Amino acid sequence: MAQQLQSINLVAPAFKGVNTEDSPLAQDPSFAEVADNAVIDKRGRIAARKGHSVTTTNKTVLGSDSIRSIKEFRDDGGNTKIFSVGNNKIISGTTTLVDETPGSYTITADNWKMVTFNDKIYFFQGTYEPLVYDNASSSVVKLSTVAGASGASDIPKSNEVLAAYGRLWCADISNNKSTVFWSDLLIGQNWTGGTSGSIDISKVWPDGYDEIVALAAHNSLLIIFGKHSIVAYQGAEAPASMTLADTVAGVGCVDRDTVQYTGTDVLFLSHTGLKSFGRTIQEKSLPISSLSGNITKDIIGSLQTESSFFRSVYSPEEGFYLLTFVGQDITYCFDVRGTTENGSYRVTRWVSTGFTSYVRKENGDLLIGTSNGISEYTGYTDNATPYRFKYYSPSLTFGDSSRIKILKKLKPTLVGANNATVFLKWAYDFKGTYSTAEFTVGDQITGFFGESEFTAVEFTGGALTNQRSLNATGYGTSVVVGLEADIDGSQLSLQEINVMALIGKLL
Amino acid sequence: MDDEYNIGTPSDVLGAGATGSNPIMDASNALSGGGNGFFDFLGGLADYATQPGVLLPGILGGLLTGEAYGRLSDIGKQARTGAEALAEQQLQQTQFRPFTVTTATGAGFGTRVDPITGEVKTTMGLSPQEQAMQSQLLGGAGGFFTGAMQDPAIREQELYGQIRAATEADERMERLGLEERLAAQGRLGVRTAQFGGTPEQLAMERAQQQAMAQARLGAAQQARQEQVQQSQLGGQFLGMGYVPQQQLLAATQPSQQLAALQQQAQLQGAGLFGEASMSGLESQLIAEQARANLLGQMGTGLLSGAFTPQQTSPTESLVGDMVRQFGGLFN
Repeated sequence: MAQQLQSINLVAPAFKGVNTEDSPLAQDPSFAEVADNAVIDKRGRIAARKGHSVTTTNKTVLGSDSIRSIKEFRDDGGNTKIFSVGNNKIISGTTTLVDETPGSYTITADNWKMVTFNDKIYFFQGTYEPLVYDNASSSVVKLSTVAGASGASDIPKSNEVLAAYGRLWCADISNNKSTVFWSDLLIGQNWTGGTSGSIDISKVWPDGYDEIVALAAHNSLLIIFGKHSIVAYQGAEAPASMTLADTVAGVGCVDRDTVQYTGTDVLFLSHTGLKSFGRTIQEKSLPISSLSGNITKDIIGSLQTESSFFRSVYSPEEGFYLLTFVGQDITYCFDVRGTTENGSYRVTRWVSTGFTSYVRKENGDLLIGTSNGISEYTGYTDNATPYRFKYYSPSLTFGDSSRIKILKKLKPTLVGANNATVFLKWAYDFKGTYSTAEFTVGDQITGFFGESEFTAVEFTGGALTNQRSLNATGYGTSVVVGLEADIDGSQLSLQEINVMALIGKLL
Repeated sequence: MDDEYNIGTPSDVLGAGATGSNPIMDASNALSGGGNGFFDFLGGLADYATQPGVLLPGILGGLLTGEAYGRLSDIGKQARTGAEALAEQQLQQTQFRPFTVTTATGAGFGTRVDPITGEVKTTMGLSPQEQAMQSQLLGGAGGFFTGAMQDPAIREQELYGQIRAATEADERMERLGLEERLAAQGRLGVRTAQFGGTPEQLAMERAQQQAMAQARLGAAQQARQEQVQQSQLGGQFLGMGYVPQQQLLAATQPSQQLAALQQQAQLQGAGLFGEASMSGLESQLIAEQARANLLGQMGTGLLSGAFTPQQTSPTESLVGDMVRQFGGLFN
């Protein structure tokens, strides 16, 4: 007797992002096994990320290197300037990159950290004398050459710098990994006079020993990240009197460039994944929640194999926190608008982007550094090149893993994807051999009333959806459904996938 | 008028020989060229002088006058001798008489006159108890003065060490307490350009340094106060050391007053004695002087009579006068 065709509707598939931690069989279909070059869009759907548009037209000074760091300098006079580093140079500009490296100043590494403070932008990198730029001088100079500056030997050559509470704070010096230095109040070049000072926290580490990696200021706290522990001081407005507020053992920060502020939280990458300080009003402790619980192993694996930079950025406009393993060219995109049941951010993965640095400008634009110079996160091509959007569901058993499932039809509902070629894939029983059904989405250009009615395009109501019905083949106890598409100028969101299957006999 | 000394009336005495020839006149006449010139004059004078009425009164007058002269000289000698004897006697009478005083506590005060130099010397002696006390007090004064003359820096350092020893324990506890607090606050490693370490550390260091400075200042003040105190004590001890002596001297005051009264009475008695003695001497001198004057007057009268012409028998007159004169002299 013929079996009744069952319809299993995967509504808003993968809107919880990637989950590689839980057993595929037990997973919620709302997770994805793979979500490459994807984001969670404003409707909670998995969608293709935006591409980047290269702004730079002259990258001579950059050569074949990549932009390793970007910072927007703004002062009270409204002057702005984009600084970046790469090719062992201090660079300014976005279209034509200009070498701003001071004369007779040799740079052999590009691990600079730039902070703006009191109408100046400061450049810090371990073992290098810090540099400074302001609009008045219009040139990047050594910090020790500024009027009122401490001697070059007295200025910490630190790898980490933080502008907070009216001072510059720095740490992570080659021969001193446990001391935080702070400058005089509002005077970033004075490190020996005024109210400048330092604190050696070698006796404060909860685990007995650690090394400072990063600094952060949050909720009137000075947060000192070690590799394996965190120390928070309160009252940093008066650093001579600041007191220890809390310590966290076993959780540290991997790299200073993974620390990002979200307004209500501080995100950072630890050895066990992405972490954050949750802000509490009543309690004075610092609860730490794991935000990458769904991809912990992946994160750890990437950490262990990373040999280059870590870069991150938080974009409230896009609603994500990007964490890039530059050496592996992998970027994890954490959607910060909400968390899953286990408290983790929804996460997708961007691969082979070539992104090497980020900065969010004051106006919300997201600038991306690549080997092409400086790009803007916009559009749906990577510098006019398509990129592959991938979605794969976890293994689906449709509630009964003991019966055979025979896929009959797959009905994806896509939003956007103008003229995109879409590959719908499926496979059974954890096998890597996928069956593929290809189709091309038609013209999805919207025609708004009064703009292009009855002329160029068909009058539409907004983003267009496309629903297809594709025949599937094969059978198995578990099914993985995937969708891939080359994003080439148009957005693509996966609204749902309706799977029509026959439930077979018991195995 | 009665002739107490039987001298006779002066007119008689002086007028003896006035009658008859006048030798003087005769001599004058001889010198002026009457007779044999100068030798005549001398011959006349000798004749005149050898007359009984002239020779005897003249001799007696001369003798009496010489006797008066000699007596006046003896009167002066006797007055001087008497005055000297009186002075010697008064000197002995007014000479200082040594005395001694012995107090109830056994101290003694004595005076004596050096027999050789005549200087008045005093001696004072304390009782053994007083001497012991005096030695103790003076020795103590010496000790205090020695202490007062020492370098105050030495005592200052000693006092400072004592103060520091008393406060170091508390300071160490405060330091440890602060260290614990700072450790609990994670601030042990704070180093600031403004405070050096933490403000609390600076405050504590400042307080401790201030306390140390105050301790040093206090020690210096204390050392100097002690120096002054020792000086004062030395002075007091020194003064007290002389108290027995002062008390001895005070105890001699009544005796000295008595001695002064005695001396005064002695002087007064000697004065009265001298005055009385001098009165007697004066009276005797006056009487002797009067007798000498009388003899002189008699001698003068006899001489005058001898060279004055007498109407009566010169021998009779002369003998009568001599009898009267001598009778008066030896009455």
